[in-house]
Amino acid sequence: MREAVLRGWAPWLLLGLVAGALWAATLGAHLGAGLRPSSELDRLLLLHSLLPRAATALLAGAALGLAGALLQSALDNPLAEPATLGVSAGAQLALTLTALLAPGLGGLGREAAAFAGGAGAVAAVLALTWRRGLDPVSVVLTGMIVAMVASSLSAALILSQGEYLFALLIWGGGSLSQQSWAPAGAIAAALALAALPAALLARPLGVIATGDSGARGLGAPVAAIRLLALGVGVALATTVAAEVGLIAFVGLAGPALARLSGARTTKTVLLASPAVGAVLLWLADGAVQSLPGGFSQIPTGAATALLGAPLMLWLLPRLKMADRPQRPVRASSRPADRTFTVLLALAAVALLAAVALGRSPDGWHVAVGTDFVELWPFRWPRTAAAAAAGAMLGAAGVIVQRMTGNPLASPEVLGVSAGAGLGLAAAMLLSADTALPLRFAGSAGGALAALVLMLAMSGARGVGAERFLLAGATLSALCLAALNAVIATASARAFALLGWISGSTSAIGPDEALIACAAAAALTLPLAFVGRWLDVLPLGTPVARSLGLGLRPARLALTALAALLAAAASLIVGPLSFVGLVAPHAAYASGLTRPTAHLSGGALIGAILMVAADLLARTVIFPYQLPLGLFASLVGGAYLALLLRTR
Amino acid sequence: MNGPHSFGLTRRALLASLAGTGLAGSLGARAGAADLRVAAIDWAMLETALALGVTPVAATELKLFRRAAVEPAVPAAVADLGLRGEINAEMLLYARPDLILSSPWYEKYRAQLERVAPVESVSIYESGRSPYAAAEAASRAVGARLSRAAEAEALVARADADLAVARSRLVSFATRPFLVANFGDARHFRVFGADSMFVDVLARLGLRSAWAGGSAYGAVASVGLEALAAMPEAWIVIVGPTPPGVRASLDGSAFWRAMPQVAGGRVVDLGPVNPFGALPAALRFARLLGEALAGRDHA
Repeated sequence: MREAVLRGWAPWLLLGLVAGALWAATLGAHLGAGLRPSSELDRLLLLHSLLPRAATALLAGAALGLAGALLQSALDNPLAEPATLGVSAGAQLALTLTALLAPGLGGLGREAAAFAGGAGAVAAVLALTWRRGLDPVSVVLTGMIVAMVASSLSAALILSQGEYLFALLIWGGGSLSQQSWAPAGAIAAALALAALPAALLARPLGVIATGDSGARGLGAPVAAIRLLALGVGVALATTVAAEVGLIAFVGLAGPALARLSGARTTKTVLLASPAVGAVLLWLADGAVQSLPGGFSQIPTGAATALLGAPLMLWLLPRLKMADRPQRPVRASSRPADRTFTVLLALAAVALLAAVALGRSPDGWHVAVGTDFVELWPFRWPRTAAAAAAGAMLGAAGVIVQRMTGNPLASPEVLGVSAGAGLGLAAAMLLSADTALPLRFAGSAGGALAALVLMLAMSGARGVGAERFLLAGATLSALCLAALNAVIATASARAFALLGWISGSTSAIGPDEALIACAAAAALTLPLAFVGRWLDVLPLGTPVARSLGLGLRPARLALTALAALLAAAASLIVGPLSFVGLVAPHAAYASGLTRPTAHLSGGALIGAILMVAADLLARTVIFPYQLPLGLFASLVGGAYLALLLRTR
Repeated sequence: MNGPHSFGLTRRALLASLAGTGLAGSLGARAGAADLRVAAIDWAMLETALALGVTPVAATELKLFRRAAVEPAVPAAVADLGLRGEINAEMLLYARPDLILSSPWYEKYRAQLERVAPVESVSIYESGRSPYAAAEAASRAVGARLSRAAEAEALVARADADLAVARSRLVSFATRPFLVANFGDARHFRVFGADSMFVDVLARLGLRSAWAGGSAYGAVASVGLEALAAMPEAWIVIVGPTPPGVRASLDGSAFWRAMPQVAGGRVVDLGPVNPFGALPAALRFARLLGEALAGRDHA
């Protein structure tokens, strides 16, 4: 046993040495080959920047590792960590609010605000998943969605103040650059304060891990123990968030790798996770600093997301968890044609409002007559583009949900839209040409790659429905982290990408609107002929064969269509709208259960939602406008979170 | 030639005397036969129009402009067109401009803007080009378009003269390089590079930049404070807006206080200046720098 533990630790010793060597190389670059400060300035640099940076990396890594271990034991959930529970994004939202409302607030006040935000996010996640018995995958899926909504809200707040980019980039990225011991000191204090409760909790948490009944036999107040562990974990994570910003996945990787290295009991996991987290973050920080030129400014937090997300994808099929069976969505028994009448009426109202309703300097305003004629050329292109994007996302969502048999799958949740963004970024980095065909080719390529990856995963053994969604959310986080790393280089392309992520429709002109409508028509019309495939495919190979349907070509065609739809839509509204999830679900729930009806209903509802969101984005803080994608994600994310609760 | 020129000067004097009463705008608008209702999309164009005595009817993101660019003062009557990244075309329509001043940064909005009024797109910031000379050319171009050619010449000449005076005052400071930085938080700043307006103005003042690294579009984002150690002999010029609390945390930081530039008293804080402005921003930078350095030890 002892030998096994020792063998498990050997790689960590080695990685620690690598991190140390990288750090020595950084020292050498600053101080010269002798690594000895030759001047007062070098001494300063060593004492107040290089040493505290290493200490902050080690301490923040340890704090996140311990936080992850505590959160995982408290929730009995091997995927729990500050990022997947929404703790970090909740803290970011609270800090953004603080910066806007109480800018003078000092260190402790900021930490208190961050804790309140993080704890609020966890409370929301737990409340939403309570009915499902805090089932691990539901908790993490809800947490990642809460995180996306909180991030959208932070960005919208910053944008509405007419202030952007700089601080957001640094904070959102989690830079470890240091000039004092204060952040290291604050994190060390938090770690020291957490050590005692963690030590006291180790045994009871271990007992709980063997089953609640055993714990009750010992007379341990199970709920209180879990709550305490949760509180300590959140406090550690939000202290790190307040001091250095968002550092994703270290809290996941610490305990996971500690377990893989032979830590079996709760006590050893609690002991080993901080050590593993410390080495990981130090290593990541060293790697970032030794990158050449402009890339050494990539915040370490973006790098840990790039390293951590693949780990999570690798871990998912290997974790021992019971995937709960899907409960089918309850569909209304209303006849389909009546539903369509209602939807068409709603669409007419939405379109009419979008072109006629608005605000003027004198207040709300209904445009009629000459006013209408004058405003028409400004309103129809963005309305048409929004409708086209919504319809395409709705249709893509229906295909993906039907193909995977999973009512929560969607282009956004599966990382297909974020993959489109990464493809777009690649196209923009590789070529100076920013013409529409190239941008579309890039984003379609990225979307296709992501979708193929996800479909391959959905067929893999050991990947249940919710695990599959989580893999998608992780892929999405991975792609967005990569995009953030590109944006952190602050080039002109970076600004274009930032505009794409926020999903801005204000510059869309008649030509682009017509192209969007043409794309929507060209890509959704073939769907009228694939209804039968969608009916048959989920029944499995033998049935499909017996009906004379080639399974592989049918799947291939549907995959390509869904990817193209998602790519085209995300070029207009960005990656995060959630309309591709909400629309198919709402269509099914309102009684449109047959494939063809589901498809047209999903597309119609998608268009209605997007047009309504565009109207609101244009008017809520008039004359300032919010980007449509950002606004839609607030609405869609909230719907999705509620959906997870009631399911 | 003498006629319109002296006319322009008297009117400028008149406008100056009316500044602050809120009448300057309406008077300016009535004064010439060819006066246009102007909307400014780019902040550099907003500055230029105001400096030429033309008060636009609408401009973008005025909330931030009043805090981050400060000068020239924008009268309250100017309509706000919203974020520069999300321009409100309907608000622009309600403002009924005859002419829209824009720049290539807003090229994707051109078709929309042209539906409202003719667009004059003037470029100042392009890679490999001196933004100051481009700002001079932009002032003349805008002056010609707004029938304010004489005022434009006067603005260029006054800027030249102001810089020459500042240069002669700052001649003793030329021994040390200057780092122009904008703080994002207490640990990071962005540096303005060789293709920025600030460094261009430094050169016109006979001063040199301490930043040897490259820059993309004027500034390098997110440089750690420790980069200061590589340029111990420099002056640090802080350009605002600095986020609240950052100065306090800097002053409390042992590392910051121990930096040779800080320990040697070579830090000046200019307050907010628009980094992508036109001649008014350039002059504001030069004036604030001159005032901040006045009475400082140049050694």
